[in-house]
Amino acid sequence: MTSQTLQKVDHSALKANQLFIIAFSILAFILGQPILVAFVALVMGIGAALRTPGFGIVYKSILKPRGWMKPDVLDDNPEPHRFSQIVGFVFLTAGSVALFSGLPILGWTLTWIVIALASLNAFGGFCVGCAVYYWLARLNVPGFGKQPPAGTFPGMKPKASANV
Amino acid sequence: MNSDILLRLGLTLGIIGLGIFAYWCINQRLLVKAQNNAPSLFSSLPNKPVIVYFTTPDCIPCKTVQRPALSKLSGLMGDKLEVVEIDATERPDLAKQWGVMSVPTTFLLNARGEARYVNNGVARVEKLMEQLQTL
Repeated sequence: MTSQTLQKVDHSALKANQLFIIAFSILAFILGQPILVAFVALVMGIGAALRTPGFGIVYKSILKPRGWMKPDVLDDNPEPHRFSQIVGFVFLTAGSVALFSGLPILGWTLTWIVIALASLNAFGGFCVGCAVYYWLARLNVPGFGKQPPAGTFPGMKPKASANV
Repeated sequence: MNSDILLRLGLTLGIIGLGIFAYWCINQRLLVKAQNNAPSLFSSLPNKPVIVYFTTPDCIPCKTVQRPALSKLSGLMGDKLEVVEIDATERPDLAKQWGVMSVPTTFLLNARGEARYVNNGVARVEKLMEQLQTL
């Protein structure tokens, strides 16, 4: 459990990504604009493909250089966070399809699930997608090989460096 | 159109309100845990307010904001305040008992050792001072 190699993960970039997802999704709901949901899904999809937080570009190019957000680099596994983003992408894509297909209750429910999970991650430090990833890893599902950093509850933000 | 937006805005505020209520409930639960575990930290009643501060060596906000804030507060209050710093990596048992989910986390205990406030994340001097004044 502790012998695995962890990587440096900037949790501020993840948090910025979550905050943008929350903001755009809420705005989409208030204004009744499914196109905004599709936009967030697209950004998350691109982020998942590039293995980076979808809105991470805003953090890297604006928020971090201007000091509006400070880096919070921890030893962690990036894979569960990528998986989490893919799950969010799938939910929002399904939500967008539902909204454009005239199924607003299903579409907005899926959108609000993403908002709730992103909020839990951003404000509570608990990543449900990561917890699911680690749970699948425990079940030895192929492609899910990482274990939580030592001393960290699966899905929780690591409290410390595990390889110091 | 406008009434539709207002309805959605109302729904959004309601959902956010529910989220805040859930967060408040979690904090209350943390305070109960702190209340139950606080006596083990002290051999006798502290007879002054105590801040129990959970941190880790590589927590950047702890180094850049939380610790300076606590140092400033200690300087301002002198002997009237005790700050107990706990490294969650050295004492994971305590972090678990107190229900600490992230760092920095600060618990404020009154002079009778009763947990009154919990701050998940960075708490600035002004906020801590405000909380201390109501203990």
